[in-house]
Amino acid sequence: MSAFPVQSPPSSSSTKSSAWSPFYAALSPFTSTYNRFSQWRSDLALPSPGSIENLQKEVKSTHLTNFIFDGARADLTKTLSANPAFQVTHSFSLASQTAPSSYNFGAVFANEQVFMQGGVDHEGSVNCRFNRGWSANNVTKMQAQLSSQAGHNMIQLEHDYTGRDYNINAKAINPSPADFSGIYVGSYLQSLTRNLALGFETMCQRPTPEMTEIATSYVAKLTSTDKSWIATALLQQPGILQATYWQKLSEKVEVAADLQVIAASTRRDAVATLGAKWDLRMSTFRAQLDSTGKVSALLEQRFAPTFAFIIGGEIDHFKNAAKIGVGVMIESSTLTPEEMGMPVPPQPPSYP
Amino acid sequence: MPSEETKESLIKVVEVGRTILHYGWIPLIIYVGYTRSTPQPSLIKLISPLA
Repeated sequence: MSAFPVQSPPSSSSTKSSAWSPFYAALSPFTSTYNRFSQWRSDLALPSPGSIENLQKEVKSTHLTNFIFDGARADLTKTLSANPAFQVTHSFSLASQTAPSSYNFGAVFANEQVFMQGGVDHEGSVNCRFNRGWSANNVTKMQAQLSSQAGHNMIQLEHDYTGRDYNINAKAINPSPADFSGIYVGSYLQSLTRNLALGFETMCQRPTPEMTEIATSYVAKLTSTDKSWIATALLQQPGILQATYWQKLSEKVEVAADLQVIAASTRRDAVATLGAKWDLRMSTFRAQLDSTGKVSALLEQRFAPTFAFIIGGEIDHFKNAAKIGVGVMIESSTLTPEEMGMPVPPQPPSYP
Repeated sequence: MPSEETKESLIKVVEVGRTILHYGWIPLIIYVGYTRSTPQPSLIKLISPLA
């Protein structure tokens, strides 16, 4: 005896289609318009614009701001499995002028759908990253920073959808299910022509349930047809403009420029940064010059596939200050070269 | 709008979840990585920086 009476599928579908056909007929002008519109849109063959988060990705990887460090550091990476990827990292950093000595243990696990990354330092602070790809276009991300001190915790939930010629992203930072306080960000980027993409990002800040602040920033991205140069502009609410330009000069040389202008009523300021990156066979060299008088350079030299040496320095001419950093990266594996699927060169772990 | 008790229990649940994530995230990655890797590594190689 069945608790749920089940209709036989063929009869139900046939009655359904006959009952619904007048509705379909009535809707046909709309559906045909929609079909024509989507056909016309796919005929345009607009490229995917990337995401707003990755708007300045090329510039950031060319400039050395995210790579430079001072003091000494050592990273010991151990690859335990290649597919699925499983890696543990022990990193030590000491003698920095700005930060105290620290030890960090990190672990990464990744397969086709899931990416998990975690790090814990000697004080017990944990950072987490979790990405889950539902399909090629849908990714849900979670990021968290957890420490034993109250007020230093951050959790961010994010969903990213990439369409054929657009990208939608929604984020919630420290959302509270009780009173809906927190920061919520939504962004949309759309390709308008083969070269131009426009978008916006709206941020809604609710520090308390009574207070809501909404700010919108606007984004434009211009890409050359052969993708050899990219220009972006980002306009934020209280008069902040950030413009960047990146160009690949040859297979090995990339240059990038960045201009940040603040023209608020209380503060007027501008900083320009010029940088270049050389990718050589066994090394990467980055050099950078900015309008605050800082000159910096960073060399990453790989002596063997498992051993890399990094040296970087920065001189601040206006403040008469300097800093220097040296580091080693040692990579080992418990796998034989055949198990690792050689000849894949080991990737250096990237530390922002 | 939820009542005060619901709010308090929600906040408590979030706090417990946060603590579980804080202490359980690294062990979880190591467990998942250790059980899914091919070939399975030995535990000492997993933890020690020198082995």
